[in-house]
Amino acid sequence: MSVPMVRARAVRKRFGHLEVLKGIDLDVQPGEVVVILGPSGSGKSTFLRCVNHLETIDGGAIHVDGELIGFEVKGGKVRHLRKREITRQRREIGMVFQQFNLFPHMTVLQNVMEAPVGVRGEPRDEAKERAYALLRRVGLEDKAAAYPRQLSGGQQQRVAIARALAMRPKLMLFDEPTSALDPELVGEVLATMKSLAEDGLTMIVVTHEIGFAREVADRVVFMDGGVVVESGPPAKVLDDPSNERTKAFLSRVL
Amino acid sequence: MTSEPPEIDVAGAAHTRHPLRWVASVVLLVLAAQLVSLLVTNPNFQWDVVGSYVNAQIIGQGIATTLLLTVIAMTVGVVLGVLLAVGRLSENPVARAACGLYVWFFRGTPVLVQLVLWYNLSYLLPEISFGIPFGPEFVTADTNVLITPLLAAILGLGLNEGAYMAEIIRGGLMSVDPGQSEAAAALGMSSGRTFRRIVLPQAMRFIIPPTGSQVISMLKATSLVSVIALSDLLYTVQSIYNRTFQTIPLLIVACIWYLIITSILYVGQSFIERHYARGATRNAPQSFWAFATFRRRRPTEVTS
Repeated sequence: MSVPMVRARAVRKRFGHLEVLKGIDLDVQPGEVVVILGPSGSGKSTFLRCVNHLETIDGGAIHVDGELIGFEVKGGKVRHLRKREITRQRREIGMVFQQFNLFPHMTVLQNVMEAPVGVRGEPRDEAKERAYALLRRVGLEDKAAAYPRQLSGGQQQRVAIARALAMRPKLMLFDEPTSALDPELVGEVLATMKSLAEDGLTMIVVTHEIGFAREVADRVVFMDGGVVVESGPPAKVLDDPSNERTKAFLSRVL
Repeated sequence: MTSEPPEIDVAGAAHTRHPLRWVASVVLLVLAAQLVSLLVTNPNFQWDVVGSYVNAQIIGQGIATTLLLTVIAMTVGVVLGVLLAVGRLSENPVARAACGLYVWFFRGTPVLVQLVLWYNLSYLLPEISFGIPFGPEFVTADTNVLITPLLAAILGLGLNEGAYMAEIIRGGLMSVDPGQSEAAAALGMSSGRTFRRIVLPQAMRFIIPPTGSQVISMLKATSLVSVIALSDLLYTVQSIYNRTFQTIPLLIVACIWYLIITSILYVGQSFIERHYARGATRNAPQSFWAFATFRRRRPTEVTS
C-alpha cells in the first residue's frame, strides 16, 4: 500500500466557542478525486482550508504525502512549524477559491508566472513558456495580456486553475469553484477540472455540483455538522445513501 | 380599438431650459469682473513690486528651502508611516499599542506646538547621549548644537506627518481584499513577498490620492517653520517686507510660488494614480504617451 496523498485523522477546528470540525478522518490516495458534499455550515470548506494550513487545526493531524502539515514532532514534542516551513509546504498544494482571487493588478500571464518565478525561482523564459502551455490547456492562451477584470467569471476561474497548476502541485484543492459563477459559465470550469482528473491529478473538490460528483469523483464524502457522515463511490452515496442526513440533503438538491 | 400611435423619433429633441443656470452664471461673471477690476485698478497691490521680486534670487533660496524641507519631511513621514501602519496591523499587542499611542499623540497636538517643542528641546534635555539604556554612554552631544533649526523643522514636520501617513497607509492596506493574501499564501509566497508584490501595489490605489493631498499640505505647512527662524519661502518674504513695508505684494509673490508648486504636484499625482490604476477598470490602462499626447482613450472590447 502506497502512502496516501492526504491522511486526516481526528481533525478538530474551533472558531471561538463554535466547534466546526469535530474529528474528521479522511484518506485520499494518489490520483484519486474526492468530492466533498454537504449543507452549508457543515465544515467542508473549513476542512479544505486546514489541508494547506490556511486554518490552523486545534486537534488531530493532517499529513500530505507523508508530511505532517503545520506542525513538527521534535524530541517527542509537537510544536507549530515556523512560517517559512508552512510556506514551503503550501507550494506543493494548489488551491482554487470560490471568488477566484486573481491578482487584479497583474495580467493573466503575470498571474500565472508570479509564483513559479518569485517563489520557485524558475527562469523567466521557462516559466513564460509553461504559463502559455497552461493557458492553452485551460483554453485562454489568447487572454494572456488581459487583466482579470476584463474576463468573465468562468475565464477568471480557469486562469486561477492555471495559476495553481503552475506550481506543479501534487494535490489540488477546489473550494466551491463554481459557486460564484453564472449558470451558463459553470460548464467550462467543470470541463477543465474533469480534464485534470483524467490526467491523474489528486483532487479534493468541495462543490454543490452533484452531476460533477457523479461523473468525475472516485469517491464522494458527505459531511454534516462537522463530521463525515458517509463516504463511498458516487453511485453508492448519491443513489443509495444509507444515512438519513445524506438522504435528506440529496432530496433537497437533486 | 386603440389606434396605432404616430411614429416618433426622439433624435434632435429640444433640450430642457434652465433659466436659473443663466442667472447664476451672470451673477458669477459680474463678481469675476469686479475681482479683475479690483486687481487691476487698486494701486495697493503694487504689481510692479510683485514683478520685481517674483523671480528674485533671494526668493529662489526661500523656495529651495521650502522644497527641500517638504521632500525630507515627507520622506520621513512616509517611511515612518509604513512602519507605524505595519505595527498597528501586526499581531504583536505591544507594537500595536505603541504605534497607536504614537498616532494618538502626534495627531492630537498642533504641529506648530511640536515644532516649537523640538526647537526648544534643550530646555528639557540639555545633553543627548547614545549608549546602553540605563548603562554606560558612548557619545554625548550638546542639544543646542545638535538640534539646528533645520533639524527641529524636519523632526517637527516629519514626525507629525508620520502619524497621518500611518493612518492613510493602514486604510489602504485594509482596503485590499483578504482573499488576495490568502491566494498568495496558497501559492507558497512568504508574507514579505505577499506584502511587496500583492498587497502594497493594490493598496497604492487608495494611498496615493490622500498622500498627494498630504504633500500639498506639507508644502504649505513648511511655512510654519518661519516661527523657528528657518528661511523658507514665507520667512524670506517676511524678512523683506519687515524692511520695506511692501507687505501685500510680497505675500502675493509667496502665494504665486505656492500655487505654481502645488499645480506641478497636482499633475505629478495624476500620473502616479494612472500607473497604479492598472487592472482596476475593465478598460485597458492608458499608456504614459497616450496621456501625454492627449489621445482620447477608446474603450476596449469586453468579453463576457
